[in-house]
Amino acid sequence: MDEFELSRSVTIGQFIPGTSVVHRLDPRAKLIGFVVIIAGVITASSYLGNAVAFGAVVLLVVLSGIPLRYLFGGIRPILPILVVYTVFNFLFLGNYDPTGSPVVFRTPVSLGPWEFAFTVTDNSIRQTVQGIFRIFDLILLSSLLTVTTPITALAKGIESLLAPFRRVKVPGHEIAMMLAIAYRFVPTVAEELERLMKAQASRGADFGRPGRLQFVQRTRQLVPVTVPLFVSAFRRAEDLILAMESRCYVGGAGRSAVDLGPLGRADWAALAVAAAFTLALWRTPFPW
Amino acid sequence: MTEHVIEVRDLWHWYLRGTPLESVALRGASFTLAAGEIVGIMGHTGSGKSTLVQHFNGLLRPHQGSVRVFGTDLGDRRADPRSLRRRVGLVFQFPEQQLFDPTVGDDIAFGPRKLGCDRAEVRRRVTDAMTAVGLPFETFKDRYTFGLSGGEMRKVAVAGVLALEPEVLVLDEPTAGLDPRARRDLLTVLRTLHDERGTALVFVSHNMDEVAELVTRVDVLADGRTVLSGPVRDVFREGDRLRELGLGVPAATELAGALRDRGLDLRGDVLTIDDAVEAMWTSSSSPAA
Repeated sequence: MDEFELSRSVTIGQFIPGTSVVHRLDPRAKLIGFVVIIAGVITASSYLGNAVAFGAVVLLVVLSGIPLRYLFGGIRPILPILVVYTVFNFLFLGNYDPTGSPVVFRTPVSLGPWEFAFTVTDNSIRQTVQGIFRIFDLILLSSLLTVTTPITALAKGIESLLAPFRRVKVPGHEIAMMLAIAYRFVPTVAEELERLMKAQASRGADFGRPGRLQFVQRTRQLVPVTVPLFVSAFRRAEDLILAMESRCYVGGAGRSAVDLGPLGRADWAALAVAAAFTLALWRTPFPW
Repeated sequence: MTEHVIEVRDLWHWYLRGTPLESVALRGASFTLAAGEIVGIMGHTGSGKSTLVQHFNGLLRPHQGSVRVFGTDLGDRRADPRSLRRRVGLVFQFPEQQLFDPTVGDDIAFGPRKLGCDRAEVRRRVTDAMTAVGLPFETFKDRYTFGLSGGEMRKVAVAGVLALEPEVLVLDEPTAGLDPRARRDLLTVLRTLHDERGTALVFVSHNMDEVAELVTRVDVLADGRTVLSGPVRDVFREGDRLRELGLGVPAATELAGALRDRGLDLRGDVLTIDDAVEAMWTSSSSPAA
């Protein structure tokens, strides 16, 4: 693995063309379907239910023809966050567990003047495992959505889904535009970051050397990349504004758009499957 | 036999290898650099020039083939490239975008401080580097970095790398986007650096005139392969081949060629304006002859 290849881990916002079922679905159907599945994923509250939900997400990825390994690469950057999440769950949830679930493991910890107990309860394990599963599901799903849908199609889909709310002054077009631009720039910013890290490493900066958990050192190392990163992000934003204004972009007002047309049979079928799956997941009493 | 500082053999490199976005950037590139030499790398956009030079200080590791820099084999995963990065200074494309410190002096001092130099040594290195690029230390050290002109920012960025006092300086299209005057200044800086400190230079460019003026040997990359390599005069004799690759020859060479086509008896290795003038005077078609 190359030291600086960050784009490998940025799977959100990167479109990969294809002809799979998932690629061909209407963006509106895909958006609603994914939201429905996410609802299923986050309401599943048993180990088995979470495993089933995860299995379904993996199945979707397989259907899309995108290599699983590639999308799993997108999970790597958040692994440290998951570690912190686990530790905090055990530190706080374990000690003040409102459900009074049985204690599995308990040991006193003293950190200088602070003394507290590190407690693992049945419930805190459950919360942690489920939390991790859910985060995996969410990352995989959102990556899959952007990987299989061109950003313009996604924006169109969001805009048309928000159209009914125009009566209550929801600026659907603007929201869709903002989301599209934000997503579109995720891989660009990652590339920029990669370039800057290489450039600073070439003049003596040293990345990744201190231990994984030495947060202060790690943060300080980032100053030489974050400052230029922000400078260039603002420059890019200004360029984009200029480009949009010089094409007389004025937002959604009076703008005609390509009609997405009615949903096809496959789209309705996909929605039905998603809804059925979520309902089933929600209603099934899993043994554990 | 000359000792090679950088030696690249049959180098292959893939970006995002093993993902659906995989793309091959180098397919068998070669390159050598001897101590104190000035070598140019030319090539069309996307020919792999930048990928190649990023192997010189271990930012990228060879996927296939070998890269040896100062005797270190970078194909060896255990080889630590960080010590190499002090000896091989790499100036990226548009290096002014990598400045981060509000004051010029502190930005240039970043490298030496990272090397663990003491205050006096940092000051000396910063002063030297600034003098080398033509920014007087006292007037510029406390200037606001982001308030400088594009050309000045580029100089600060080059000074930031020079402060590491590298033995080899690699510059990836250092003159791109500069106005003619800043371009001239930078070329002079590089020339002086080579002549006075013996720094070896690797100059990546697709400006034929600059290559002709500065370098002694040139490698031409196309589609990730080294297709032409040799002394600059020999390479520029292959005008047709270069044009085929989306490159060209220096303006003076172009002019000499056109004159030769019209029947003037001119040497075939005219590279610069000075060459052209001399060739005209010594030509048998010259009225002076």
